[in-house]
Amino acid sequence: MTDSSTESFTLVITGAPYSSQAPQTALGFAQAAVNAGHHIDRVFLYGDGVHLASALCAPPSDETNWSEEWSRFLTDHSIPSVACIASALRRGLINEVEQKRYELPAANLRAPFEIAGLGEWVEGRIKSTRTLYFHAGD
Amino acid sequence: MTAIQTLHILNKSPDHPRAARCLEIMSAEDGLLLIGGGVLLLATGNLPGAGKVFALSPDVDARGLRQLTGDASVVDFPEMVALSLQAQRVISW
Amino acid sequence: MSTLIMIDQPPYGAWSGREALDMAFSLAAFDQPASLLFTGAGVNWLRQAQEASGIGQKSVEKNLSAAPIFGIEAILADRAACNTYSLDESSLIEGVTLVDVKTALLTGYHHTAFAG
Repeated sequence: MTDSSTESFTLVITGAPYSSQAPQTALGFAQAAVNAGHHIDRVFLYGDGVHLASALCAPPSDETNWSEEWSRFLTDHSIPSVACIASALRRGLINEVEQKRYELPAANLRAPFEIAGLGEWVEGRIKSTRTLYFHAGD
Repeated sequence: MTAIQTLHILNKSPDHPRAARCLEIMSAEDGLLLIGGGVLLLATGNLPGAGKVFALSPDVDARGLRQLTGDASVVDFPEMVALSLQAQRVISW
Repeated sequence: MSTLIMIDQPPYGAWSGREALDMAFSLAAFDQPASLLFTGAGVNWLRQAQEASGIGQKSVEKNLSAAPIFGIEAILADRAACNTYSLDESSLIEGVTLVDVKTALLTGYHHTAFAG
């Protein structure tokens, strides 16, 4: 395997922004992978990692908004990104479909993130050359 | 670069039980990539005797460990991508 | 494409053990070979007679006993950790295989993952 051949990745983020470094490390990795000409099949948010998909994170203006950074990167490179539905609903990450289904007062899922099941992870894991995990450090 | 059987990506500080387990299980054919709080292993001076050790440069610099890298190779994100593909398998601890 | 899901988080106080189980069940549901390996404090998931209603949680004992029915290939537990936490054949749930966690065990799987 050489650096110049195109390989594919599924990136799983399980650490939340602002309580772990996972989203920023994963973004550094993802940018480097894309710059090297590799393909990112999908980004899968699992466990506390689903907080990255919140449209309502409002960090102080002198701090990086990781949800916004990720969202821009995913959109720029048309990379599918999925928050695990079971993890998301438990933690209050809701899209409009789920808002209606559970009659909740609001939806807060940031585009382009979508909500789907663990099958998305299974598929990525089968399809991609490598599936890498970015966990919280504690 | 020589082939790496398993690349262990460790982001836990040396006091975390998972760090101990990762180091215990690492073999001479394996690579250890320290990222996040995992780079603090450099400060202890207790790098594993067997296998290659790498440390992610922004994490090394963030923690002021540039002078303490010892036998570890400091790598950037593009090299981390290459390492993850070069290894037969990757375990994120 | 066999996968080993590792669980080293203790039960109930942390959620990632449950989420690890969901990952394994989900692999099995898509006919992907999956095994579970409990290490460290994670072996406490495997103790008989868990009664979690007092803390408002569901016990996972039943899910784990159903694992073979759902297609999970093996439930492995680190022998040393079981010793540490006073777990033996009489106190472990059924269907658990004790193993020594070494490099050779992990290289038998294509993919090894923690849930968090």
